[in-house]
Amino acid sequence: MATTSVVDRLRARIGATAPPITATVEAGHLKRFAEAIGDPNPRWLQEAPPTFLVALAPPSMHLAEAEEYGKGWLNGGNRFEYIEPVKVGDQITATGRVADVYEKTGSSGSLLFIIFETEYVNQHGRTVARLRGTGIRR
Amino acid sequence: MNPAVGDELPELVKHPTTRQLVQYAGAQGDFYEIHYDQDFARSVGLPGVILHGLLKASFLGQLLTDWLGDRGTLKTFEVSYRGIDVPGRPYRCRGRVTKVDGSHVELDVWGEDPDGNKTTVGSASVEMAG
Repeated sequence: MATTSVVDRLRARIGATAPPITATVEAGHLKRFAEAIGDPNPRWLQEAPPTFLVALAPPSMHLAEAEEYGKGWLNGGNRFEYIEPVKVGDQITATGRVADVYEKTGSSGSLLFIIFETEYVNQHGRTVARLRGTGIRR
Repeated sequence: MNPAVGDELPELVKHPTTRQLVQYAGAQGDFYEIHYDQDFARSVGLPGVILHGLLKASFLGQLLTDWLGDRGTLKTFEVSYRGIDVPGRPYRCRGRVTKVDGSHVELDVWGEDPDGNKTTVGSASVEMAG
């Protein structure tokens, strides 16, 4: 079956890392992000709110072959771990990897789960946060 | 005052609009069409455009940071998206303290649609400042 081979090909990507992406936390971007989520706390003019890191670098890798499975993507969940605050001017390097790939079959059909993990390191070489995300193809 | 098990967080009600979805798509850089293109959203079996999961996570993040203020630091924050939400319907963010162990505090957080469905459920842990 075609879908089975897609799953096998994706499972072969487990452990694969995406090229690191480095981005600077800009005041204007923080402000636009806080406005977009509708959080008026002035703290977010200087510091990243809890979900901001997903805006700095894509929170998942682009896996073209995953799009052969099902019709669309759904976000299943996200888990953030915070180690150090991220502030305006910080230069953050995000490295993402495929942590797991599996298929589940339920009453409404089959779903493909892809678990991504991203580590965020600042300009001092310290890990500031980690993110785990579940992408679902349905 | 230190948190105690069973404490409810002050509720936060958000009123997402299609405008906000476009604003968020731009600010996050997530241009998946299910969040702003009605025809595309329907073509993949959705009722229309839906909220970004991470926008709902941001709402719950605000619930947590509004409650916490400068009394402590958020350490972990986790959400599962259990159902879809559409713009034009209020989104009610709630939370409760589930564990207190010295300065370590754990919470459940969730987002409800107007029918009372918990479309996003999650948890968080914080470290209170000494």
